[in-house]
Amino acid sequence: MGHALYQAGLAGAMIVAAGVAFAAGSPSDPLNSVMWEALRDQYFAGAPVVFDDAVRVNAPAAAEDTRAVPVSVDATALGHVVEMVAIADLNPFPLVLRYHPGTAAPYIATRIKIQQATAVRGAARTADGVWHVSGVMVDAAGGGCSAPPASYAQKDWADHVGEVQARLWPADTDGVARLRLRIRHPNDTGLVDGIPAYFIETLRVDAQTPGGSPELARIDSLEPVSENPVYSLDVRPPPDATALVLRGRDNQGGEIRATIPMPPPGAQPAMRPAMSLKPADQPWSVGQ
Amino acid sequence: MKRLVTSLALAASLTAFSATGVLAADAAGPSSDDLLKSATNTEAVLTYGMGPQAQRFSPLTDLNADTVKKLVPVWSFSFGGEKQRGQEAQPIIYDGTIYVTGSYSRLYAVDARTGHKKWEYNHRLPDGIMPCCDVVNRGAAIYKDKIYFATLDARLVALNRETGKVVWNKKLQEYKEGYSNTAAPLIIDGKIITGNSGGEFGVIGMVEARDAETGELVWQRPTIEGNMGTLNGKESTVTGKTNASWPGDMYKTGGGATWLGGTYDPETKTLFFGTGNPAPWNSHLRPGDNLYTSSTLAINPDNGEIKWHYQTTPHDGWDFDGVNEFVSFDLKKDGKVIKAGGKADRNGFFYVIDRTNGKLINASPFVTKITWAKGIDIETGRPIYNDDNRPGAPATGDAHDAKGKSVFAAPAFLGAKNWMPMAYNPQTELFYVPANEWGMDIWNEPITYKKGAAYLGAGFTIKPLYDDYIGALRAVDPKTGKIVWEYKNPAPLWGGVLTTAGNLVFTGTPEGYLKAFDAKSGKEVWKFQTGSGVVGSPVTWKMDGEQYVAVVSGWGGAVPLWGGDVAKLVKDINQGGSLWVFKLPKA
Repeated sequence: MGHALYQAGLAGAMIVAAGVAFAAGSPSDPLNSVMWEALRDQYFAGAPVVFDDAVRVNAPAAAEDTRAVPVSVDATALGHVVEMVAIADLNPFPLVLRYHPGTAAPYIATRIKIQQATAVRGAARTADGVWHVSGVMVDAAGGGCSAPPASYAQKDWADHVGEVQARLWPADTDGVARLRLRIRHPNDTGLVDGIPAYFIETLRVDAQTPGGSPELARIDSLEPVSENPVYSLDVRPPPDATALVLRGRDNQGGEIRATIPMPPPGAQPAMRPAMSLKPADQPWSVGQ
Repeated sequence: MKRLVTSLALAASLTAFSATGVLAADAAGPSSDDLLKSATNTEAVLTYGMGPQAQRFSPLTDLNADTVKKLVPVWSFSFGGEKQRGQEAQPIIYDGTIYVTGSYSRLYAVDARTGHKKWEYNHRLPDGIMPCCDVVNRGAAIYKDKIYFATLDARLVALNRETGKVVWNKKLQEYKEGYSNTAAPLIIDGKIITGNSGGEFGVIGMVEARDAETGELVWQRPTIEGNMGTLNGKESTVTGKTNASWPGDMYKTGGGATWLGGTYDPETKTLFFGTGNPAPWNSHLRPGDNLYTSSTLAINPDNGEIKWHYQTTPHDGWDFDGVNEFVSFDLKKDGKVIKAGGKADRNGFFYVIDRTNGKLINASPFVTKITWAKGIDIETGRPIYNDDNRPGAPATGDAHDAKGKSVFAAPAFLGAKNWMPMAYNPQTELFYVPANEWGMDIWNEPITYKKGAAYLGAGFTIKPLYDDYIGALRAVDPKTGKIVWEYKNPAPLWGGVLTTAGNLVFTGTPEGYLKAFDAKSGKEVWKFQTGSGVVGSPVTWKMDGEQYVAVVSGWGGAVPLWGGDVAKLVKDINQGGSLWVFKLPKA
C-alpha cells in the first residue's frame, strides 16, 4: 500500500492538460489495473485525469467480508470539490457511487461489495474540471457481488425495506457536522438468477430551515454499495437548521424518507479523519 | 475496449435516428383522445381490449379467411429466466415497440420489427404474496411518456416507456391481507383506474382512480354496500345502503374483488367494472343478495359514483364471480339501435343489458349445462334458482365440523367463462365467447374470518362434462341468444379472443396452438404451434404496410392449480414464456 501511494504521488505531480485523457500520453495507472483505461474512458470520458494522493482512499488491505468492505474517500485536501466517485475496478459493476457534495466537505464513507481482489479508487472533480484519482488494492476472496443478500433469509425482510437509522453530530469549528445514515435495503445487484436488481439509486440530504429547505448533499448510489448500506458524510447544516431531511428512491420506485433531528445540546462533534492520525500511521483505518 | 467502442458507435447512430426518423407526436406518446379512439387505430394497439369498449375487433382486412394461410412467424421473444407459469398478457403496440407483461410481475419493451429487447423491468416481489390463481399479469397501459402495470404485491408501477426507468410506484393495497393485482389498468381522461384481486381472502372489492401523472389517488369506490368511498382525499358516499343485503358486520369482509379490471364506453361516459364472488363461499352464512358482489357496476369516471348495477348471481353460492368484461356494442334489433352491452358470465348465462340504465334485454345460456338456475326472468332480471342445487349448510351443534350436503353443480366454479376476454365483431354482429364445459361437486364447511387467510368455507372438485372436449369457442348472436357456431377443444380454453373485419376470429389453446377461424362459419382456417399453451390475448396491427398478429405463449393460470380432475388432463403441457409475432408478407 505504501508503494502504491508513492506511485500515486509521482503521477499526481505530472501536469495533464484538458482533453488529453484519451491520448497515449495519459498517465499510467499506479495500481497497474487491467481495467484502468476502459474505466477511465467510461467514467471520465474526455475530462482531464491526474493521479493525486491529495485524494485519500481508505480500505482494508484484505476484505474480511466481501459483501461489506468499508471504504472512504477523502478529498478535503483539494478544497472545493464538485463531484466524487468511488470505483472498484474488477467488480461486475465497477462504479460504486457518485457523490455531489454541494456545500458538504468532500468526504464520503460507505461499505461496498467486492467480487474479487481489485483496485478500489476514489476520484474528485475540482471546479476546473480535473479529476483527481487515487486508490488502493484490496485483496479478497470471490463472490461479494453475486451472493444473495443475507436479509433474504428472514421472511419479513420486505417489511423493513427503507427504514432509516441516522445520527447527526454537532458541527465542529469549521461548521462541518458528521452525518451517518443506515438504510435497511437488500441493495441487490440482480446477479443472482431469478432475483431482480433492487437497489437504492438516489439519496439527498436537505436542511429544514425557517427560510426553506436547501440541499446539502446528494448521492447517486449503485449496485456495489452493501446491503443495508451505511453512509458517512460531512455536511454543513445552516445555523438556523431545525432538522435534516433524507429523501431517497430505489430502482423500483420505492421511496425513502427520514427526518433527522439536530444533535442534543452538549453533544460532542464526531472525530473526522482529517483530525485523526495520518493514514500511514494507521494502515487499517477505515475512515468511519 | 473494442466492445466499448462498438457500443459508443451504436449510441451515436440511435441518436441520429431519433432526431430524424421519429415524429414529435410519437415522442409525446398517446393522448387521452388517442386512447378513446384506439378501437379504430390500426397502426397501434393502445389499450387492453383493443379499444376502451374492449370489443377486441380490428378493422384490418389484409388478413382474411383466404390470405390467412400465408400468415407466418416473424420472430419469437423469450421472457427468460426460470420464471415461467401462466402468460395471460395482451401486448400493447405503439411506435414500433411492443410492451408486454410476463408472469411474476415483469414488463418488457421489445422492438416490434426485430424482436430485439429494448428494456426489461423485473419487479422485486416480497416472499409473502398470495395470488389465488397463478402469478399472472394480463397487460400494461400506455399514456403519454409512460407505461403502467400492476403487480402481484398489489402495487401500481409507472415507467418511462423509452428507458424502462421507474417514475413512480404506488401501493394499491396491502398484499399481506390477501390483495394482489393482475389486471391491465384502464386510463380515461388522465386518470388511471384499477380494480383489485384477493376475493378468496375476504378483502373488499375496490375500484380506484389515480392521477396518471403523479399516481395520487383521486377516488375510491368500494364494491360492497356499507363501505365508504373517497373523493379527493375526503369521504364521499357509502356504497349502497348498509345492511340492506348483508347481515351484521359481514359486509366488512364481503369480497366482491374487481380482479379483472374494467371497460369504458366513451358514448355514455361510463366505466363498467365486474365484481367477484362474495366471501365466504358458504352462502348460508350471509343471507341476502350480498350487493354488489357478482355484479356489473356502471361508474362515473369523474367521481366514482355508481350509476347503476346489474347483479348476475344474487346470493352466490358457487363462486360465480361477476367480473367478466362488459363489452359495449350497438344492438341492432327490430329496426332500432340500442346502446347495449354484452357479458358472458361465469354462471353460464350470456347477458345483453341496456348500458344506459342497466336493464336486462336478454339472457341465454352459452354452455350446455346449467344446474343452479332454470333461467333468468327477463322482467325482474333475477335468476330462477334451483334451490336444491345450492350446496347445503354445514351441520351445527355437536356435529359442527361436519360438512354440509354436497351437490353436483354446473358450471364449475372456474366458470362457463373465466377471465379470458371474448370479442365482438360489428360486421358479423356476433360475440365470440371462449367457454368451458365442466361441473363440480361442491359442499360447505365451517369457516371464520382471519386476516390474510383463505376465506372459503367450501370444498370442491371440478369434473369435465364430456369425454371429448371441455373448451368451446362459441359464436353468440346477441339478438337471439343463439349459438351460431362452435369450435370444440379438448383442453379448457383459457386465452382471449380477437376478431377482425377480414372475417376472422383468433384464439389460443392450452395445447399450444394459436388458431384462426372463419368468423361466419367457424371453420378452422389456420393454426400455429407456439411450443407451450396459449392463454394470452392475441392482437393485430399494421406496420410498414403489412398486417401483423402477436400473442404470448406460456401455459398456466388457474386450471393447473384448481382444476381437480381437469388438472390431470393438462399436467403434461409444458410451461413456457414467450411472445410470438406473425405477419402476412407483402405479395
